[in-house]
Parts: sequence; C-alpha cells; structure tokens
Amino acid sequence: MSKNTKIILSASSIIIAIIAMLLVATPASSGSEMKIANINETADTLKGRHLTTEGLLIQDSVSWDADAIELTFDIVYEGHELSVFYNGVRPDNFTDDVYIIVRGYLNEQGVLEAEAVQTRCPSTYEGEDADDHDPDAIWDEEDSND
Amino acid sequence: MELIGQFSIYLGFFLSVWALISFLIGIRKQDQRLIDSGKGAVLSIFILASVSTTLLLFLLGTSDFRFEYVASYTSTDLPMVYKLVALWAGNAGSLLLWTFFLAMYGAMVAFSKKMKKNPMTPYIVSIMLLNTIFFYFILSFVSNPFDTFPAGEVPAEGRGLNPMLQDPGMILHPITLYLGYVGLVVPFAFAIASLIMKSMDAFWVQMARRWTIIAWAFLTMGNVIGGWWAYTELGWGGYWAWDPVENASFMPWLTVTAYLHSVMIQERKNMLKVWNLSLIIISYLLTLFGTFLVRSGILTSVHSFAQGNIGQYFLMFFSFMVLLSLYILMSRYHLLRKDSGQFDSYLSKESSFLLNNIILLGGTFAVFWGTIFPIVSEAIAGTRVTVGVPFFNTVMSPILLALIFLMAICPLIAWQRASVKNIRDNFLIPALISLAVLGVIAAMGVRDAYPLISFTVIAFALLTHIVEFIRGTKARQKVTKENVAVAFGCLMYRSRRRYGGYVVHLGVILIAFGIVGSNFDAEQLVTLQEGDTLEIENYVLTYESLDQRRDGLNDIVYATIAVEKNGEDVGYVTPERVFYANWEEPSTNVAVRSTLVEDLYVVLSGWEEDNRATFQINVNPLVSWIWIGSAVLVLGSLFAILGGRYGQSVPRYAGPQRKVH
Repeated sequence: MSKNTKIILSASSIIIAIIAMLLVATPASSGSEMKIANINETADTLKGRHLTTEGLLIQDSVSWDADAIELTFDIVYEGHELSVFYNGVRPDNFTDDVYIIVRGYLNEQGVLEAEAVQTRCPSTYEGEDADDHDPDAIWDEEDSND
Repeated sequence: MELIGQFSIYLGFFLSVWALISFLIGIRKQDQRLIDSGKGAVLSIFILASVSTTLLLFLLGTSDFRFEYVASYTSTDLPMVYKLVALWAGNAGSLLLWTFFLAMYGAMVAFSKKMKKNPMTPYIVSIMLLNTIFFYFILSFVSNPFDTFPAGEVPAEGRGLNPMLQDPGMILHPITLYLGYVGLVVPFAFAIASLIMKSMDAFWVQMARRWTIIAWAFLTMGNVIGGWWAYTELGWGGYWAWDPVENASFMPWLTVTAYLHSVMIQERKNMLKVWNLSLIIISYLLTLFGTFLVRSGILTSVHSFAQGNIGQYFLMFFSFMVLLSLYILMSRYHLLRKDSGQFDSYLSKESSFLLNNIILLGGTFAVFWGTIFPIVSEAIAGTRVTVGVPFFNTVMSPILLALIFLMAICPLIAWQRASVKNIRDNFLIPALISLAVLGVIAAMGVRDAYPLISFTVIAFALLTHIVEFIRGTKARQKVTKENVAVAFGCLMYRSRRRYGGYVVHLGVILIAFGIVGSNFDAEQLVTLQEGDTLEIENYVLTYESLDQRRDGLNDIVYATIAVEKNGEDVGYVTPERVFYANWEEPSTNVAVRSTLVEDLYVVLSGWEEDNRATFQINVNPLVSWIWIGSAVLVLGSLFAILGGRYGQSVPRYAGPQRKVH
C-alpha cells in the first residue's frame, strides 16, 4: 500500500467520525415539520414532539398580555387554523397574511407553545393589492382618531 | 420603454444562444471568424444586460407603475435608494441582476488581457454561456421584469417595499452574495474547459486563482452582511440561525475554502488534481442548489421566495450541469491520475492541508444533511423530520473547532516532512501561553468544557500566527538589516499571497472569538413603567420616557433609556418602532450600544396606553469581533490578490494548442 493511500485512508477516518456524529445527533435533535391540518388531525399523538409549522397570521386573533409578556395568535394554512402561545415579543412584519414560522410543542389544549416565532423574509408574497394602496390612508385614519 | 425592456431581454437570449453556437462551431472547425463573432456577441450581451438593468432601475426610480415589477415592489413615497434596491427585492429583478453579473463576468473573461491568444478562452466562455442562456430563458419566458399590466388596469400606486427590506443590509447583502455566487461560475468554467481540452497541468488553477478568491471574498461579505442585518432584524433569529437559505450560501463557502487550500498542494506537488476539480465543481453546483432552494420554496425557511414553478427550471438546470460535469470529469479521469505526486510524510504541511480539506468537506456534508433532511425523510418515511439548531450546533461546533486547531498548526508546519525540532521550536511557546489562557478563563469562573477548549484553541491559533509574523520579520531583518516596521511591511508585501492568507486566518480567529463569546448572552423580557429600572449583567437601565417624532412621512415612537454600567453613566439608548406611511405594522429599530467587550441590545416591542412599555434586552458579549474579524478576513483576501510584480506573474499556457483563441 502506497504512502498516499495510507494517508488518505487514515484521513478518511475523520469522515467516519463525522458520519457517526451525524447519526448520533440526528435523532437527538429532530422534530417534525407538519402542515396545520396534520397537526390538528393527529394532535393526540404529538405530545412531547418538537413541531415546526407555518401559516398565515390571522391579525384579528392576536392578543397580547404586556405584564405576563404573553403573545397568543392564530395562523391558518389551507383553511386549517392553529392557535399559538408565545412567551416573547412579536417579531417584525407580524401582520395579516404574512407567513409565520413557529417551532415548539403542542399542549393539552391543542395549542402550540412556541419556542420561536419567525416571520418570513418579505419578497414576492408581501404587500397589499396595488389597487388598494393609498399612502395617505394611515394619516387620514390617525387624524380621524385624534 | 416596454419595447426596449422586452427587446433587450429577448435579444440577450438570442445572442447568448448565438454566441454559444458560434463558439462551438468555431472550436470544431477551428474558425477564428466564428470565435470572434462569439466574442462580439458576448460583449453585446453585456451591453444588453446593462441596458436592461439600467432601464429597470430607471423605471423603479421613476415609479412607472405600468410595469408589474415596479408596482409590486415600490411606491411613490418610498425613498429613492429603496426604490432602486427594489431591483433585487423580487424574483424577476434579482434574476436580471444575476444575469447582468453573469454577462459582466463573461465579458471580463473573454476580453481579459491575460487570456489573450489563449486557446482556452472560447471553451471557458462557452461554459459560462450555458448559464447565461439559462438565466435569459427564465427572464424571457418565466419571470420577465418588464411585464406590464393590461391597458386600463395600471394601478395608481405601487405596493411599496416591506419595511424589513428598507434597511442598509438590503443595499449590500444581496449584491455581494450574488457577486460571490455568480463569480464561482468562472473557476468552474476554467476547470471544465481544462478537462475538455485535456489540459492536465495546473494552468487553470493559477489562472482561476484570483477569480476564485474574489468570488470567495464576496461570498464571505454576503454571508456576514446578511448576518449583521439579521442581528438587527427582529424575527430572523439572530446573526446565524442555520436556516436552509443561510446554509445554502455557507456550503459553497466551505468547499471553496477547502479548494483554496488543497490547490496549493497541486501547484507545489502536482497532487490532488481530481480532488481540486471535484471541489470547484461541487462549489459551483452548490450555488445552483442553493438558488434552487431559495427560489423553489421547497424547504420551510425564513428567507424563501414565494412558491412557484421557477424551482422546477432550476432543478432541471442543476441536474443537467451535474450530469455534464460528471461526464466530463469521468471521461478525463484516466488522464488526471497520471503524473501524480506522493506524500512524503504523515506529518507535513501537505497532510495537514488534506486533513483540513476532509474536515471542511465533512462540515459541508453535515450542513447539507441537516438542510435536506426534511426532504429525505419525507421521501423515505412520508413525514418531514426536521433537525433544528441543536443539531447544527452539536455537529458543527467540534468540526469548526478542529478546523481552527488545524489552522493553528498548518502555517508553521514544514512542507515535505516536519521534524520534532521544527514542531518544538514553533509550537512550544504558543502552547504554553494557551494553557495559561486556559487557566485564566477557568479562574474567571468558566466551567463548561466547550468554551474552555474553544478559547484555548483560539488563543493557540492566534499565537502561532503571531509567531509566524515575528519569525518572518526577524529572518528578513537578519538579511536586509531593515528596521522592524520596514522589514515587516516588505515581508508582507513581497509575500502577499502567503501573508494575505495568514491575515484571512486572523479574521477567522477573531470571528470564532466573537461566536464563542456571544454564547454567553443574557436576556430579559420586561414590561416597565416610566421611571422603572432593571439590572442585567453589569448594567442598570432606567426607562425614562416614551415619545414620538416624525421623520419625513414616517412616525417614530421611541423610548429613552438611561444606561449605567458598573455604576457609571454611559449615556442613553433609544430603541424605536417606525410607522411607515404605507405599511400597517410598525417596524423595529433595535438600539445597539456596541463595545469591544459586549453589545447592549435593546428592543422596544410595544407599549400600553399608560406608557408602560415592553422591552427585550440582551447583553451579547464579544459580538463586535464577528464584524471586525469579517473585515480583517476580506481585507486579507484582497491583499492576497493585490497586483504587482512579486509572485503574481501570469503563467504561460502549455496545454494542447489550437488555432482559435
């Protein structure tokens, strides 16, 4: 066996070590990514399982308790809704019809207790309809409130 | 305008096809006229891409809402700079920018003085044209930035640009990342061209070196600026979140880093030819794969673009390029195996480079595995299994630590065969001082194994590099009798490639220092009354007031917080929420008081009618070093390719000769 082969073979043991590390780490830190419909259907079987899902924010459902720093809201995907509870502050872009990615665990009431709430980086899907946009609308509204 | 826009896209597509055909026939028939025609077309494509890009910028700047793209991403009240950067806010515009960069790189290679009379040029440009044709195809038939609304349906106003994108990060992050992504086409084209021509020497490696480092430096900048932007943007998970799209740009960075090291072995010892070719091919393919991930929306990502059919086209092109690359590489495999050098010793610079390469590639595979695991698991088991941040931290921490350790050793270990004396002379003092650092950190109360090991290894790497600089300067002084400053300056300048590389290493060391330190962060979420104080780490914060001011069309609500550190007043921080004229939800401006020791990071999340306000307050240690290290890294890479007489000569092409060039 040439020295080249020996060196390459011994260096390859690093690869084996990395693969072993992957195999150990994968089940230890895995969860499920599911659509809301599937979460609702199989809620009973998901206890203790780390879940990732996403949906459009339903703005009217947002509720905020400043003293407890608790944020609750609903998201909807393909007509199915899921309630989310989050002990943290609302991220930017947290507005109607924006995709919200949530990660966490389902509680007894079928509410997702989120560890992380993220909004998608806005690109092609954001924004109101161009026809409806009126840059003065917010000021008019504020003036009327005053 | 519409006609010019559409015409420039379609003509660009036509000329790309024409250029490729004329190059292919020109190469086959060895007809210089056809090659010249192809080159002319390449220049014309660049001019056309410039026209398209300038025109779209003009339309965006003048709010011409007849165009769907302009209406989708701008509004009349948007500041001009953000009207212009909307060029890369959406699919069609960003693809046009990509095409422009491709055309620019193509013209630069085709008309480079260094490539004059070089028979490789038509081959290289042909490979690049494959990419140009694909992107022009997408622009022409799938996602055209010059599509207009039907007559009578033109909106009076545009949708505006999301406030999250109205950030300096939006100006720099996409453009640097694209320059890096697209730039990797060039070394890939050099590699494939050398294979096609059966030119098995290291010529392509030397010619592609600068291109590779430029692309790598831009890729670095793109990633870092993205991290800096995400750090201040609430909801994107901090400076690095192992998001699939972040991973997509990290993977080619890892493989190009591996390539830049292993290629030195090929230049010096004529070894690892297949390995180097594979690395550059993989790096390029990873850029396509990353683009597919971003554009297809196949993975759940914070950064994904909207779902659509565009991903299918990227998947098809990616598959085509995989097969083409594999076919060309395998068909030349027997030639590549000839004349290969040998390792002389287990303990040598070559062996440490090989080890570094294997670890970098292992790291790439780990990131790839974690990224695509949801797709693989869905294909096998029918359910999408995700691996989250803990997976990446568990796997990547030892890998990156091992890399820094190797980085500490590589510069000082001898080529061919390192002796015990060599190792003792170079490493004894840095090792002893690093152990002292370990003792100091332990005495400061750090008990976790990871930070203890990490800081020790980082100190060791820093010290070995300092030793290398000192030894080099002393050796030069001995010969030239120059003073220390002159000797150091001349040493650096005359060996820019080598010492530029070491400066890059120093940048990586500083980044690692910042990353390890930032893990010791502290966070509080509180709702305070005006006048309330809170303590976090060695800070005392007093929430003094909540006020409002107007900035142009925007209303800004801001909190004034007095900051004391270790009992001394250090001023105020004023976190803000900005209400944009055309956006329903306010956007956060995080207040960051940054020092070399730590960042005080304050977010105003919301407020109540009685002026109670909710804050997220973090103390993030050492984060500044991530940005400082990144700047050092980029400066080092630019220094390494600085022009001049010394060590930068252009090699002569010695491969198969052709009549056409």
